[in-house]
Amino acid sequence: MSNAAAMFRSAALTALRGAAAILIAAALWEGVVVLGNIKPYYLPRLSDIVMSIIAVPDAYITGFFRTMSETLLGFAMGVVVGVANGVLFKHSRTLRELIFPLFVISQTIPVIAFGAVVVLWFGNTILAKALIAFYLTFFPVTVNTLNGMDAVDQRQVDLLRSFGATRWQLLFRLQLPAALPQIFVALRLACTLSLLGAIAGEWFGDTTGLGVLLLQAMYNEQVIALWAAILMSGLLGTSFYGLVALAERRVVFWRSEL
Amino acid sequence: MNLNRLRPSRATSRALMGLAGVAILWEASARVFDLPAYVLPSVSSILAAIVDQRTSLGNAAAMTLMEAIGGFCLGSAGGMLLAVILTMLPATRRVLLPTATALNSVPVVAYAPLILLWFGIGPESKVIMVALAVGFTVFLHALAGLDRVDQRAVDLMRSFGADRAAILWRLRVPAAIPLTAAGMRVSTVRSMIVAIVTEMLGATGGLGWTIYQAVLQIDFVQVWSAIFVASAASLIFFGTINFLEKRYVFWK
Amino acid sequence: MNKRRTLAVLAASATLGLAALVPFAAQAADPVKATLRLKWLPQTQFAGFYYALEKGYYKDEGIDLTINPGGPNLLTENLVATGADTFGLSGGTDSVMAAIDKGMPIVSVGVSHQVTPFVFVTRKDGPVKSLKDFEGKKVTAWFTGANYVLFGMLANNGVDRSKVDIQPQQVSVTPFVNGDVDVATATWYNELYTIKQRMGADNLRTFVAEDYGVTFPRDTLIVSRKTAQDQPELITKFLRASIRGWRDAMAHPKEAVDAVMKVAPTLDRAHQEFMLTEAYRLMTAGQAKAEGLFWIDSKAIQATEEFLLKNKVLTKPVDVATAFDGRFLQTIPVEERRP
Repeated sequence: MSNAAAMFRSAALTALRGAAAILIAAALWEGVVVLGNIKPYYLPRLSDIVMSIIAVPDAYITGFFRTMSETLLGFAMGVVVGVANGVLFKHSRTLRELIFPLFVISQTIPVIAFGAVVVLWFGNTILAKALIAFYLTFFPVTVNTLNGMDAVDQRQVDLLRSFGATRWQLLFRLQLPAALPQIFVALRLACTLSLLGAIAGEWFGDTTGLGVLLLQAMYNEQVIALWAAILMSGLLGTSFYGLVALAERRVVFWRSEL
Repeated sequence: MNLNRLRPSRATSRALMGLAGVAILWEASARVFDLPAYVLPSVSSILAAIVDQRTSLGNAAAMTLMEAIGGFCLGSAGGMLLAVILTMLPATRRVLLPTATALNSVPVVAYAPLILLWFGIGPESKVIMVALAVGFTVFLHALAGLDRVDQRAVDLMRSFGADRAAILWRLRVPAAIPLTAAGMRVSTVRSMIVAIVTEMLGATGGLGWTIYQAVLQIDFVQVWSAIFVASAASLIFFGTINFLEKRYVFWK
Repeated sequence: MNKRRTLAVLAASATLGLAALVPFAAQAADPVKATLRLKWLPQTQFAGFYYALEKGYYKDEGIDLTINPGGPNLLTENLVATGADTFGLSGGTDSVMAAIDKGMPIVSVGVSHQVTPFVFVTRKDGPVKSLKDFEGKKVTAWFTGANYVLFGMLANNGVDRSKVDIQPQQVSVTPFVNGDVDVATATWYNELYTIKQRMGADNLRTFVAEDYGVTFPRDTLIVSRKTAQDQPELITKFLRASIRGWRDAMAHPKEAVDAVMKVAPTLDRAHQEFMLTEAYRLMTAGQAKAEGLFWIDSKAIQATEEFLLKNKVLTKPVDVATAFDGRFLQTIPVEERRP
């Protein structure tokens, strides 16, 4: 079987397995609620939740894509800045000691307090939410880039140096590739964090987005709408996470060989 | 006694320098631009308020810290346990990993309304929220750590007749410790934040509740005081875990 | 000679061209951009504004208005004071005065709800039969204004506040429905609907603030002092369009609810219809019937100011006449303001 066909087959099988798993989970949910006679206030039937989404699809679809764009933008910014910081801190001990503690402190400020200020300055734009997502993302990426680079075998560094490798070559051919596994661990974490930032950011007077739907459902005590928003957020989160995991498998396939 | 030990290390003094720099910049801007309190209060007024309100802030901080630490321990233990289970029983991996991923792909704050509904606005709901948030992070890191062991080393031990448990204990766990510790370190701050964010949605006390009340009473100095105290508490938490981890790993 | 002729022709055409443009310049006066920040998430409590926007009443007045929803983490006073929003619909007379007390440069130009929107609910067959029975019971209230109403009611009727277990009320009414809480706070237009739905209207006993000598008008329209000084016509135009929107919204309630549902499609329609009727009742109570919507009842507000001063919510007296400026409202003839 040709390579492409084999890849297609394995992808199709994974998709089928995934779909089967989802169907089983859905059936389980419906069954537990109906048989266990659980009050809809605590856990509504999955069918009810899905029906409520189908009833007003526009709100959920526009919300999904709005939140998605905020998340992706914030994630991208966080990754770029995080990796850059990690590299910077690896090379400059002084900067690391001066600025890293400030980063740590910045992360202790609760997102909600910060969010109010950001929306005040940037309005209800995609950028404002992306900034909050960025704020949550860059720190774990920085930490893991730094750790990943620190873990590189010193002998390999010395070996390359002995061959006359420049700082940049060292960085791009040894340190960053070696740090990739750890960076991807942070990326997998970061994709959830950036979604969290986007959603929390939408809680400050925004009009569209999954976070808005969540807030409205909560304050109007509409449990079914609440679960609908949770499910859509889960869908967004899972897809994003899946993409990152897929990228990880592609990029870091040689990890075990090191 | 080595007197040198008493001098702050270079790293600490650098950190303090950076912090002082930011504080000076902040105070200067607040004064020069004569910013009203509801935009950005001056550092001096915030510090004064902290001293003034130290009892109530202290109580609030204690409550939030308890919630955070409780959830942190619960979550870390749970995360590590789950990672071990997935490694010992590879069959469960196919089922549990996607489920855990799906559950966690929903941002943890989205669960807050639900958890508050199910467990009320007392501290229990915050502990559970923190455990959820911390658990997955630690799980992810622990799993990656347990996985990164060299297959050849595993085969080598197997050839000596070591069973699964022995391989786990002697090979995988030591290899996993650095990554797991990293996961726990990152989670310390998150646990405080999740506790605070949950409190803002419904609580009877704690720093998040203080911030929420303060916003509504237009007392922004109080808001920032609570934020400062929350920051400090998170850092102490982070520092403690860091310190413990260094000692333990060193000993190991 | 040719040059002079050319110059003359050029000058003439230029003048003609400019003259032709003048009417365009006069017509194309750009609409003024403004924003209205609501005090909460979109719901029919604000239907009049949404209806006016949809029907183009603001555009008719030359205002390009954007409506920004509020929410649990936003303080309208803050956003209007910093200039982030032009107009705000804020918590109430109490929050406006508290903000002014803290030095925020805002002023109220209209009051939407003429009477207290809060009501205290208990089970009819429960242990609380009168206000005195509040002592020793668990009462939940929102500490964003409703608590003052409670304090006022208790104080006016000789009930000792310290004997009442007053707790902050959370988002959900479930603890009250489940019986964990004896008395809960509700708004006439919002939570009361949920409680009635879940417990049955006949099983409830209500305590109305006005029956106990307390009135807290709420949903105050605010602007920054700067706007009041620099753009008074904008405020009048906004008020005129908003009043028009509310009057027409009540004439066409279905369309009004539609306008809000368009913005927030996941809302429960029946709940929103109930909310619209109740909100309008609050808006047309008291002096509003005679003096028009958004009327500023100085006497009621003065009483509130004294109450807040006594309870140390305000650190110093607030001049009600400057804090609540009815001039913009009064430029509109009263027939146009009446509901």
